[in-house]
Amino acid sequence: MNDNKTPQTIEEENEALLEEIHQKSDSSSPAASRTLWGDAFKRLRKNKLAVISVIWIIFVIIVALSADLWAKQWLGSPTAADSTTMAQNSTLPPSGEHPFGTDALGRDILVRVIYGARISLSVGVMATAISTILGLIMGALAGFYGGIWDTIIMRLADIFLAFPYVLFVVSLIAVLGRSLTNVFVAIGILGWPSIARVFRSAILTVKENDYVDAARSMGASDVRIIARHIFPNSVASIVVYATMNIGGAILTESSLSFLGMGVVPPTPSWGSMIQDGQAYLQTAPWMMIMPGLAILSTVLAFTLLGDGLRDALDVKMKDA
Amino acid sequence: MADFKFHEPVMGRRAFVGGSLAASSLAFLAACGKKGGSSTAGSASGATSGAIVNYYINNPVCIDPYNVQEDQGTQVSFQLFDALTNFDYDKNEIVGLAAESWDASDDATEFTFHLRKGAKFHNGDAVDAEAFKRAWTRVVYPKSAVAMEYGPSEVSYHLSLVEGYDELAAGDTDEFAGLSCPDDLTFVVKLSAPYADFPFVASHPALAPVPAAAEDDAKNFYLAPIGNGPFQMDGKWEDGQEINLKKFDDYYGKNKAKVDGVHFTVQKDVETAWKEFQAGNLDICDVPVPQIDSAIKDRGESKDGYTMSDGQHTLLGGEPSVYYLVVNNTAAPFDNADVRRGVSMAINREAICKTLFKGTRTPADGIIPPGIDGYQEGAWEYSKYDVDAAKECLDKAGYPAGSDGSRGLKLTLSYNQDGGHKEIMESVIGDLEKVGLEVVSDTPEWSALLDQYQQLDYQFGRLGWIADYPIMDNFLYPLFHSDSLGGDNRSGYSNAEVDKGITEARATVDDQERLDKMHAVDKIIAADCPVIPLMFYSHVTAGSDRVKSFYLDPQKHAYLNRTELNA
Amino acid sequence: MGKYILKRVLQFIPVFLGVTLILFALQNIVPGDPIKLIGGEKALTPEVELQLRVKYHLVQVDDEGNAILDENGDPVPETLWNRYVFYMTGLLQGDLGSSYQRKLPVTDIFAAKYPYTAKLALCAIVLEAIMGIGAGIISAVKRYSFWDILVTLVTSVLVAVPAFWLGMLLQLFFGVQLHVLPISGAGGTASQYQDWVHYILPAVTLASVSTAYCARIMRSQLLDVMNQDYIRTAKAKGLSNRAIIWRHALKNALIPVVTYIGVDFGAMLSGAILTETVFNWPGIGYEMFRAISSRDWPIVMGGVTLVVLVVMVINLLVDVSYAFLDPRIRFDSSNKNA
Repeated sequence: MNDNKTPQTIEEENEALLEEIHQKSDSSSPAASRTLWGDAFKRLRKNKLAVISVIWIIFVIIVALSADLWAKQWLGSPTAADSTTMAQNSTLPPSGEHPFGTDALGRDILVRVIYGARISLSVGVMATAISTILGLIMGALAGFYGGIWDTIIMRLADIFLAFPYVLFVVSLIAVLGRSLTNVFVAIGILGWPSIARVFRSAILTVKENDYVDAARSMGASDVRIIARHIFPNSVASIVVYATMNIGGAILTESSLSFLGMGVVPPTPSWGSMIQDGQAYLQTAPWMMIMPGLAILSTVLAFTLLGDGLRDALDVKMKDA
Repeated sequence: MADFKFHEPVMGRRAFVGGSLAASSLAFLAACGKKGGSSTAGSASGATSGAIVNYYINNPVCIDPYNVQEDQGTQVSFQLFDALTNFDYDKNEIVGLAAESWDASDDATEFTFHLRKGAKFHNGDAVDAEAFKRAWTRVVYPKSAVAMEYGPSEVSYHLSLVEGYDELAAGDTDEFAGLSCPDDLTFVVKLSAPYADFPFVASHPALAPVPAAAEDDAKNFYLAPIGNGPFQMDGKWEDGQEINLKKFDDYYGKNKAKVDGVHFTVQKDVETAWKEFQAGNLDICDVPVPQIDSAIKDRGESKDGYTMSDGQHTLLGGEPSVYYLVVNNTAAPFDNADVRRGVSMAINREAICKTLFKGTRTPADGIIPPGIDGYQEGAWEYSKYDVDAAKECLDKAGYPAGSDGSRGLKLTLSYNQDGGHKEIMESVIGDLEKVGLEVVSDTPEWSALLDQYQQLDYQFGRLGWIADYPIMDNFLYPLFHSDSLGGDNRSGYSNAEVDKGITEARATVDDQERLDKMHAVDKIIAADCPVIPLMFYSHVTAGSDRVKSFYLDPQKHAYLNRTELNA
Repeated sequence: MGKYILKRVLQFIPVFLGVTLILFALQNIVPGDPIKLIGGEKALTPEVELQLRVKYHLVQVDDEGNAILDENGDPVPETLWNRYVFYMTGLLQGDLGSSYQRKLPVTDIFAAKYPYTAKLALCAIVLEAIMGIGAGIISAVKRYSFWDILVTLVTSVLVAVPAFWLGMLLQLFFGVQLHVLPISGAGGTASQYQDWVHYILPAVTLASVSTAYCARIMRSQLLDVMNQDYIRTAKAKGLSNRAIIWRHALKNALIPVVTYIGVDFGAMLSGAILTETVFNWPGIGYEMFRAISSRDWPIVMGGVTLVVLVVMVINLLVDVSYAFLDPRIRFDSSNKNA
């Protein structure tokens, strides 16, 4: 994520788009949503970029998960570098033996990129899960109950958004300490305000609908109304949002690692690999180029998939 | 911070985390579009600057002797001020600088310094004994004018052995009882405990004399100190920007400056500085590690590592400082000396130095670096690379290797991963895994890490130690004496025999005898292996073609008054 | 209008107090003792440590300014609340305290650094506005053309690229390979380049992602507006495409774009940690990042205070500028969406 960006600025666009999607899906009753998804899937399959993105994401996931079975045997350990190998293999340019070259400690960069994918993907998914859940709860509280809840939560969101974003993540990591879990948590926590806003406005539009009143008059609990009637109507926008958010979280993680506030070494992460390469920019540029390409391709895949989903779920937005 | 960038061989002794970036806004505004036009004394662009040395530094913490500590501020202060003494590395002895000579009492508790006649401050005031008393008092006294403005000096510990230190530091009195000035040129120091090496302490730039202006006008003095050294301030220190010095014509010594002035250019880090150096904007600059090979090839290597001359423009001299693994001696498993020994011998220091530092740092064979009087080759028997012996020690310690080679011992290495320590520690981990140890990293931020070290809440970690004064005592006392527990002794090591030996040595006036006693202490410590020395630092500094001669001593003090430039 | 602005300014107060209070609470939670950190690898003596704590109001003092000691002889930490009140009192008098690490007054430090952040932000925002709006218009007007595809492609990539990595690639290409642009720093007497040349790469890097978003928003908004009835009517009336776009569509399509640019400008004025880190830029972002690592709370506090104020003022300006762009918006008291 660009350092000057609060999630607010990026999401502002999404928010506008999603609201429209929402209104679209909202017009259909819950029963109609199954066909909506069926149609959406068909449309998605026609979107070449989205299909390629899905294939790339699946490929990255498989490679990352199966790495223990083959990558170490082929390319050596991604973490440990005993001093003898180190002395022999330090900063070798890309070659047949080391397709991406080696780093200053003589470790193969390809194998580190592969293991780094685990960090990036898990941060992307977990952080998104945390901010989505937190955002849904906050958004529901604010939108459904309104009044003082709405005021408090929205002011809280303002406070969160008033901080410089990267600085805020860095401070949170400083509080929590440095670990993979804390990276999820920090990025996840900071993501809630934007999704809370999306869900809140979704609720506000649905809340007034007749079937909600009907459900309530039949004695349905608030939780049940949200879960059965409001959530299904917003799920399309949430799915699109979450997909795009995964890419954003991966970028944020790489920024954190680049600043030395990410996962604990020697665990490789794409961002920290770029940081390692910074001093060798002139002498061994592959050290920073390769992990950067990994970030670029993966985040691009999530963004394009998000675009595709958005288009698929709402024909009218295809142009955007 | 002291360890922020490992490319900078020695980065200040104290935390230099707050180090700032390049030029300030004023400079920017002033410089907008004026390129090429101006030719102020500070203008750096190559040939136009005349006999001005353009010198790279990071933003210093302080240039007033009052709080001068890290090497950036020390470098500036060293040009502006002359302390009582100075260690002459050529002669390998401590010599007088502002003092002509000194006498020590037989019990090493009283030192009488005889000052040079006719020495002047840059403002014309005489450098008398009172100037030293004033300077030393303001460093310790918490209510001195400068302390009220900028907070207490963090280097007052230099004088902690002087009589009356405690009362003065507590603010109970404004009189430093242990200092007296029988006449203008005689300065007498009484210590509360014997310390034969005190003349070395007196060589520290923080203990230089100051004129009355230092207290009368503390705020201006802090930014533009008036000293007694070969250079004087030309303007004031602009934070994060530059510091300009000009030659002091009335300098008392025979070593009047040969150049007209010095332009210290403040750069954020050595990588940036190096680019400026390559662009021809700097005369003296440190070299980032990845550039060392090309620097040596292009610039030529100096024979002795400290002196630059034509065709020999790269200095690779060792420094009196050591990079070591600090080990918590008070808790399992490192309370077992065999574990410490085993870990020590499993690490291939040579490979780390060669690969990560292009051989500029040297493998540590003890805690005392070469260049310190009393260095002995191979002083610490366990500071060597011997995998078999390492395995033996670990077997003996009760962690025999299982069938898969694993010893079932899980160690936690706590370090800060910035400043290149990550690479060093990762290769240490690689070596330890090779002998069957499992090592996990714990990498809190530097600030949190220091707490952990201080509270002995860690297994092992890393630190650097840079001597204030080039004597064995300055390694053994702070790192291993039990008086230093809770302070610089972060390994929790305490050995009555060591304490006794150091105290005895301090009271020994005869140099050789004192050295022998120190060696005996070092030997006891070596056997216990309470910390694991890894490397001795060295500086990697390059000069431009303009530099005809330049000398950088092992403590990285630049003798800019002796520097000559090619016309 | 005046009433609306007043209301907004009053709304600042709780947010501002919230942000600063959170930061103060942070100081107590974050591990790492800032005073011990001043010593670094060499420990401070206990006396000096105490004196520093007194100076920075971290311990309670008696009337004479001496630290109050408890029965164990340890100093009593000052309460968070007292320190907060003290800080806010100082703030109202324009005193942000002194840096722990650097001793100098925080106001002096920011006075020196902020101009660099502001000027870089200005360069980046101008770049963003011109490139983003331009690309968006071309892409929308020449829909499905080569240019449209190019813009879509480039913006997709820019959004997915880590900006700091892009910055490093630019350094590598223009600085290291071609030697045509300075790699880092903001110029000054030691640089061989004119000072403005130093702004090029950091500004491009800082603007990259925002420009992509800006172009995308511009494009979708313009397409949206062109589908509106009044534009269709105008078309039906035979007005030229160009006239429609310039006279009618653009003005309406620009509103969200201007909002976006405004908010983004606020964000850029908060300092760009990553861009500043990559380019050794002497701005406040890097200064604040370093200050967090070194627990130099006066700098962190001062920086965030400054940044929050700037962001709030910019947001207010953005909202007010709505009124001029969109006459439909009135700032009466019932206005919710301004």
